[in-house]
Amino acid sequence: MLRYTVRRLLGAIPTLLVIITLAFVLLHMAPGGPFDGAKRLLPQIQKSIEAKYHLDEPLWRQYLRYLADLAHGDLGPSFQYRSTSVNEIIAQGLPVDATIGLTAIALAVAIGGAVGVNAGLRRGTPWDYGSMGLAVAGISTPVFVVAPLLILIFAIKLHWLPAGDWVHGSLSHLLLPAIALALPYTAYVARLMRGSTIDVLNSGFIRTARAKGLPLRLIIWRHALRPTLTPLVSFLGPAIAGVVTGSIVVETVFGLPGIGRYFITAALNRDYTLVIGITVLYGALIILFNLLADLCYAWIDPRVRLR
Amino acid sequence: MTALRRRAAWASVACLIAGCGSVDPSTTAPGSLAPRSIAVGTALAAEQTLGRALDDTPRSLDPQLSTDVQGQRVLDDLFEGLTTVDIAGKAAAGVASSWESSADGKTWVFHLRPEARWSNGAPLTAGDFVYSWRRLVNPKTGAEYAQGLAAIDNALAIASGQKPTDTLGVEALDEHTLRVRLSGPTPYLLDLLSQQYTYPVYEPAITRYGDAWVRPEHLVCNGPFVLRENVLGSRITLEKNGNYWDSAHVRLQRVVYYILTDTSAQASRFLAGDVAWTDSFPPSQRSWLKSVIGDQVVNSPYFGNFMLGMNLHQPPFKDNLPLRRALVLALDRAPLARYMREGVYQPAYTLMPPLPDYQLPLPDWTSLSTEARHALARQLYAQAGYSDRHPLRLDIDETMLDAGTRHFFDAVAANWRSVLGAEIHIDEREFKVLLQDLQLHKLLLFHDAWIGDYPDPYTFMQIFYTGNGNNHGGYSNPRFDQLIDAAGQEPDNSRRFRLFEQAERLLDDDAAFIPLYYYATRHLVKPYLRGWQSNIMDRNLSRYMYLLEHQER
Repeated sequence: MLRYTVRRLLGAIPTLLVIITLAFVLLHMAPGGPFDGAKRLLPQIQKSIEAKYHLDEPLWRQYLRYLADLAHGDLGPSFQYRSTSVNEIIAQGLPVDATIGLTAIALAVAIGGAVGVNAGLRRGTPWDYGSMGLAVAGISTPVFVVAPLLILIFAIKLHWLPAGDWVHGSLSHLLLPAIALALPYTAYVARLMRGSTIDVLNSGFIRTARAKGLPLRLIIWRHALRPTLTPLVSFLGPAIAGVVTGSIVVETVFGLPGIGRYFITAALNRDYTLVIGITVLYGALIILFNLLADLCYAWIDPRVRLR
Repeated sequence: MTALRRRAAWASVACLIAGCGSVDPSTTAPGSLAPRSIAVGTALAAEQTLGRALDDTPRSLDPQLSTDVQGQRVLDDLFEGLTTVDIAGKAAAGVASSWESSADGKTWVFHLRPEARWSNGAPLTAGDFVYSWRRLVNPKTGAEYAQGLAAIDNALAIASGQKPTDTLGVEALDEHTLRVRLSGPTPYLLDLLSQQYTYPVYEPAITRYGDAWVRPEHLVCNGPFVLRENVLGSRITLEKNGNYWDSAHVRLQRVVYYILTDTSAQASRFLAGDVAWTDSFPPSQRSWLKSVIGDQVVNSPYFGNFMLGMNLHQPPFKDNLPLRRALVLALDRAPLARYMREGVYQPAYTLMPPLPDYQLPLPDWTSLSTEARHALARQLYAQAGYSDRHPLRLDIDETMLDAGTRHFFDAVAANWRSVLGAEIHIDEREFKVLLQDLQLHKLLLFHDAWIGDYPDPYTFMQIFYTGNGNNHGGYSNPRFDQLIDAAGQEPDNSRRFRLFEQAERLLDDDAAFIPLYYYATRHLVKPYLRGWQSNIMDRNLSRYMYLLEHQER
């Protein structure tokens, strides 16, 4: 197991290099630079700013310089937010996104899982149709509709919860963003778990267990539940990586200090270092959580361990 | 809950959705959302904490590196220049309590307040300004607004690396006296010196902490407030600075800037009572907000202009004055502004937005009736060689701003189609792509806009000077350049203004651009927030603001 993990982690390095190279080349190919603004600078001033950030050097040298800095854990200065480094931006924003994202995923797994398994067990009943109807509605309602709606109801009308802002450790500030973010995931998890429950209940080992005369409750808890988790785990790997790096909509609507917004704004601003920085982070998290998911498979399904 | 009640509840939810999106506000039912009414007393509120919504994260809290409006808002509270702005947005005494200028207007002497201090208690001296201004023009700083000091002797030569920084035309005669030498008379110098990039910075902090000097734990400033907290992308918290020379008149104890890039979020946070002041609201929600909160919706003229540019070096506009004039004349600006921009903005006929003491040179065609104007436009269009069988086919290149702007351009194109028969389409492109294409003069008909840096016509007029970097259409008229040069040497402001007015008439004669509308400020302000006035530069310092006792019912 340890050897497997180490091999996978080493294998991640070339993958990350490809990600960095692609991001670097694509960004520099895009028209316009970080210091092209609505008000045109004098050419000499533009040059001296670009020289300050080494943007006047040949691209290959900038690339090597970036890799060298990255090897030391330095993601470089942000061009848009001058006097702030990309490391600072990520260090400040990632914990916020991670808190909201993991809470949302926990809610999604708890609620969506319960609803989905229940629907799978009661296949074809009104309970099944009702909850799956709601799930479809949940998947198809965009967050930019849900989030303002939650604010209008719980903050403006009822005055129960704050309409936005972020205070570390404050549950009331966490609740609305986490719920808004959790909704589509909950719906997705519910549908996933329903399908996988039905699959597992139809499989041979459950039939054997029934034939042995085991009570249904025992069959579900002891035998059925664990294998139903397989599709959930493969969904959760990339989902957690995505959710932990923030959601532009939730951050914008609630005014949260996350990094999700920079996936779009930094690219539009041609803030090269910030874009590459969060892309690398996102890539690394995807690789990490996919590895964790694979390790989970081994725990869930003994057959995986044999291979 | 009965079925009937449930249905009623869902109906009100539907109203909420409609109210928060960009749905036509006339179809919404604002009654379901009417906030509690507010009773405002006359005494000061016990808690003087002001929440202000800010449009975006400031690019930097380093005055010399700041280039954006958001940065200016926060820096106006943290720092103070030789001059500052008063409650009406006009230049007023700041760190300098008085000043005099030589007869030719080229040398100025500023007398600094001896009581002016840094937030750590250290005295603020003339040498601090010398350091800060040299830092601004030093190429090593990489300040984008280094050219902001262009009026000062040698500033541009230093910024271009041709002269050492100590040749800058500024020197400390003693601790509290500063002499400034200018390359030409600059009647707007006092406005210029209230800009954030001229604010003094504290050398020991910069030497010690480098870029990190702007962090709350290191930042030393000289304004009415100090920095307590800076949560990037979310919140900037300021507290009253006891060492500020005029702190006795600062009533707010705490100012919290909430960064809300979504204008709808600003409106909802205002309605929720988190902020008493917003920098924006969605123009499409104006009527709805007016019906819900009435006078708390504040619109006033802003020193900016929204227009279309034409490439004067390529067909069809090159050497084609009749076509350019036809496009300028055909537009029905008043209904366009009223119906497509909800009356937030005022129709524009000139380059300069309204400015006190400046006579807007309204073109003669504005006095024509709509029918006569359309007829003249059609005549010019035909003269340019176009007809129904051979219409003008062209794209408006614009950047993806918001749905309202897009609809506005659609209406402009429809206006040209109905009056002239021209077939104009909209082509949206990313902002940086548009900028690059503009700089390469690749676009023919394009979105353009300008917001003045200081309340003087020069900030607008310079754009159309031959070879100016922002002269995207490539306009060039020696007569125009002469007038601008003459204005640059004219110390008397009213004579200067007359020269600019003449220059503007040339722009209209040459149909150098297509004016659309003047910008307007858009604020939501609680009735208990006092100590502010709308002004064309849209600068409202927290220093003057205070909160009255109030009760929400």
